[in-house]
Amino acid sequence: MGGPMSSRVWAIGFVALALIWLYVPILVIVLFSFTTSPRLSLPIEGVTLEWYGKALSDPLMTTALANSLTLAAVTATVAGLLGAAFAFGLVALKRQRLRTGLLAASVLPAIVPLLVIGIALAVFFRGLGMPQGMFNAAMGHILVCMPFVILTMNARLETFDFSVLDAARDLGASPYQAFRDITFPLIRPSVLGSALLAAALSLDEFVVTWFNIGNRLTVPVLVWGWMRRGVDPSINAIATLLLSLLIALVLTAGLLTQKKKP
Amino acid sequence: MMKADPALPWLRGPVVPMLPAALFYGLFFALPMLALFVLSFWTVSGFTLVPGFSLENYEKIFTSRLHRIVMERTITVATITAMVIVPLAFALAYAMRFVLERRGALILQIVLLSLFSGYLVRIYAWRTILGRQGLLNTALQWAGLIDEPLEFLIYSNFAVIITLSGLLLPLAVLPIYSAMLNISKDYLEAAHDLGASRFFVLRTILIPMSMAGLRTAFAFAFLLAAGDFVTPQLVGGSQSLLIGNVVADQFRGIGSNWPLGAAMSFVIVAVMLTLYLAVMRILKWVAR
Repeated sequence: MGGPMSSRVWAIGFVALALIWLYVPILVIVLFSFTTSPRLSLPIEGVTLEWYGKALSDPLMTTALANSLTLAAVTATVAGLLGAAFAFGLVALKRQRLRTGLLAASVLPAIVPLLVIGIALAVFFRGLGMPQGMFNAAMGHILVCMPFVILTMNARLETFDFSVLDAARDLGASPYQAFRDITFPLIRPSVLGSALLAAALSLDEFVVTWFNIGNRLTVPVLVWGWMRRGVDPSINAIATLLLSLLIALVLTAGLLTQKKKP
Repeated sequence: MMKADPALPWLRGPVVPMLPAALFYGLFFALPMLALFVLSFWTVSGFTLVPGFSLENYEKIFTSRLHRIVMERTITVATITAMVIVPLAFALAYAMRFVLERRGALILQIVLLSLFSGYLVRIYAWRTILGRQGLLNTALQWAGLIDEPLEFLIYSNFAVIITLSGLLLPLAVLPIYSAMLNISKDYLEAAHDLGASRFFVLRTILIPMSMAGLRTAFAFAFLLAAGDFVTPQLVGGSQSLLIGNVVADQFRGIGSNWPLGAAMSFVIVAVMLTLYLAVMRILKWVAR
């Protein structure tokens, strides 16, 4: 047993190993999206952008990308608005137990396995006689993204200073004016941030989509088809583009929802 | 100007902003789950659904040898995955919270960011690493450590467990780290100064005080591993398909049977809950 210094070394080593385990697979994908050899093996022979061209010129990819972006935009808007409004009502609740209970209930769609949510929605829409398609997938996306919007907004609103609202009301502002001129401008970055998080989750969603979209395509659904066929370097190219987009969205979301230092 | 009607005071309260989301959950979450439950008691005749109340599907699941084998395998794989992940996540959270302290918070963000590198991509990446001609085998052969590719690396339960562990580790770290935020470092130092051994501190302070986080982490790891069908499909072989694959096939495969798939999904959830409660009892006993 060593002193504090050696436990620090152990901790750093252990954390580094964990990060390698998490990130090496991703780095491998990015690396091999630029190599000439179609087979994933070492040593690397040359560098090329061929796979990017090949993946993006596929007409199915254009359709898939358009559908994915549509779903992401709809999900960000609806999940962002509904989730933010819900969190706003939640923090206004006076009874602590009701608040925690409702918060727990609202994150259920993030805990129930996606497979179960996906098939439940498929059963529901079939029961209504609605054929599978983009609308069904969109509802699924909104459902599985909403918990993350609510959690983000709830964390931000818990530190929101409601006394500024009381001050505005005392000075004669109507509830609507107070919301429009004070509350909304203050929480806007957080709403936007959680909407971007919802967009990222939607772009990456596969399971619920797979059971509800029928024969339409999204980027993950198309890539799934390629993956099942075998190893194709175009997958690495698309994967690299997708993960760059996701990480950019999430980092922006993180900056927007960050709590201001008092 | 919108002055709320004094006759309707609830209009100004928290109910109105919560209503749209609540309706959405009711319509697209509660009702579908109910529909799935009801469907699990229906049967299929030819290609049409027969409404009714029959326990045939549940009976089929418990009597079929294939379903029993797949179910047992799912429980084994999910349990091993959770047993691999939770201690790792605990150690990782401990290192970030109590040793690296402020830098640990940043590292947590980096760990969580890996969740956004693409769900399918992360699974596929493991196939390119573990494959017969994948990176690991190529590297080991190049280094002269092995002559023939290691076959067990891919299309095996081993591959499924390794891939799921990497996939789910960040989700297990988060709740444990959050729970540890409530443990003051002073407690650990006080115990240490009073001569407590590391094991004693672990057993009497760290585990009991982060129990809520451990519980959530275990539930996440187990539930998500047991419900995943993409990982077994991409890195598992025909001998490592899990119950999720069987359920998915009932819905999108040839010869699909929706009511049977619905019943299976409820059996998974019930089994998972039972196992979860059992493990929690064991953990509580350990940290007595």
